Amino acid sequence: MATLLDLKSIHKSYGAVQALNGVSLTVREGEVLAICGDNGAGKSTLIKIVSGAEAATSGQVFLRGKEVHFASPADALACGVATIYQDLALAPRLQVYQNIFMGAELTRATFIPFLRILDKKKMSQAAADYLGRLNIEIKDMKAPVASLSGGQRQAVAISRALRWQASLVIMDEPTAALGVRETAQVLDLIRQLHDQAVTIIIISHNMEDVVAVATRIVILKNGLKLGECLTENLTAAELSRMIALGDLGDRNIIRQTAVE
Amino acid sequence: MTEKYQNFLRRYGTALGGLALFIFFAIAAENFLNPSNLLNVLKQISFLTILAIGFSFALTTSELDLSFATVGSLACVVAGGLIYHQFSPILAIAAGLFAGLAAGVINGLIVTRLKVPSLIGTLAVSSIATGVSFWITGGVAFVGRWADAFLFLGRGQLVGIPVLVFWTLIIAVFSLFVLKQTRIGIHMIFTGENDEAARLGGIPTQKMKVLGLSISGLTAGFTGVLLASTLSSADPTAADGFMLTAIAAVLLGMTMIEPGHPNVPGSLIGALTIGILSNGLILMGVEYYVQDIILGMIIIASVSVSASTITKAAFSV
Repeated sequence: MATLLDLKSIHKSYGAVQALNGVSLTVREGEVLAICGDNGAGKSTLIKIVSGAEAATSGQVFLRGKEVHFASPADALACGVATIYQDLALAPRLQVYQNIFMGAELTRATFIPFLRILDKKKMSQAAADYLGRLNIEIKDMKAPVASLSGGQRQAVAISRALRWQASLVIMDEPTAALGVRETAQVLDLIRQLHDQAVTIIIISHNMEDVVAVATRIVILKNGLKLGECLTENLTAAELSRMIALGDLGDRNIIRQTAVE
Repeated sequence: MTEKYQNFLRRYGTALGGLALFIFFAIAAENFLNPSNLLNVLKQISFLTILAIGFSFALTTSELDLSFATVGSLACVVAGGLIYHQFSPILAIAAGLFAGLAAGVINGLIVTRLKVPSLIGTLAVSSIATGVSFWITGGVAFVGRWADAFLFLGRGQLVGIPVLVFWTLIIAVFSLFVLKQTRIGIHMIFTGENDEAARLGGIPTQKMKVLGLSISGLTAGFTGVLLASTLSSADPTAADGFMLTAIAAVLLGMTMIEPGHPNVPGSLIGALTIGILSNGLILMGVEYYVQDIILGMIIIASVSVSASTITKAAFSV
């Protein structure tokens, strides 16, 4: 598989606090990469750097072999890197299709020259299309997002990533605060997204979820990469033990220590 | 069925209350139903409604504008002063509108660039506007024989209906169109609903806030011009009294149609209700101060129903 994203020796400090201490990792096209680690390991910081929300103190980010500097999430989005945040970044009062097209609304011409108005019909139809591709049923594209279940909201957020035509989707704790049934629904959504040849990075505290959907796992601890392992034949219990002990043992496929 | 019924009450309950008020005065207050009185009510609420619609644009982007009334007074003396000094009506109108717009843009920049909460920033601009108004007039009002063309703006009639009513309708329809049918409108709504999400989605939220406050300033400017024309005088406090009534109209409007959120039809019905109330009470010979007491109660009752939006606008930067 070709390399999509390449992080080289990423450092990030907040004043005296070293959040990331030289993390390098590679994301390959079409994989579902999970980033795991205890609280304070540096997962969120790493994700913020890739998504353009924060700048690294030092280190390089390469996308398809070209170095990129994301100054904002909008920059990252323009390069096809979309982040689905834990709070999903939706406007609950507004309708399903409005949320999917937030910031990129479709318009149509009117009889008055240069006056374009919102093309609500076209957006509704396209929104239904995106959701259909995820096998999720939301009957009314005009329903307010507030009336949807957690799983359905996640689907709306993912549909927005599809609408952006993102090639890399970063998901921050996608199953946090969801019930059992909805978690299963979201995991299914991730698989659907994976089937559409979208590369996914997922952060999760839920080991069951990680082993269920990820193809590869990177484990961080105290701002360093402990190692990587594949999810084949890996159990959630084993993964938990690796994170807790800070040792991947025979499972480790790459070992990396602090650079500099 | 009961859910449908509840939903209907939630959306139209306040409007039904306004209708009940109308029926009450129709029975209890002599001359209330007289066509000339009803037209008078519409005329009276037009200033209030235009100001309310402007204010609701600012509130849509989750910012408060507490300067619109005194900015309206400023626009009134700017336009009135130019007319008084024999400048052309076109220039006077343009200058009045510009004064309002400029105040709105300044409000926007104070909120987005200097990061001053709108509650404080616009209150400060309000004080500045009052000071400038008194400075311009020297503390007195401009009164005199004014150009007919200018007076038509506020005093004219078309097919027996005051021009003021047409201005109000034009602004209401245009505002509704902008908010419901255009990208700018939905971007303003997204900005107010979820600032951070809108920004991540590529919406220039800071610009939307400046725009919301600028529209509030522009409509205040227009109201000031209409007041100068209607009163054929320009007083440095001409529009000040509309501050609370216009806010009350918007808050009352937020209890209906789209409960919890500023909306144009709601503001219209809110303004109409307040107009009917004040007119009816006057006709019934109730002391004028009773209106102020009722207005205060309306504000408290409305905000208790739709608290979250207004709290967010008032206390977030």
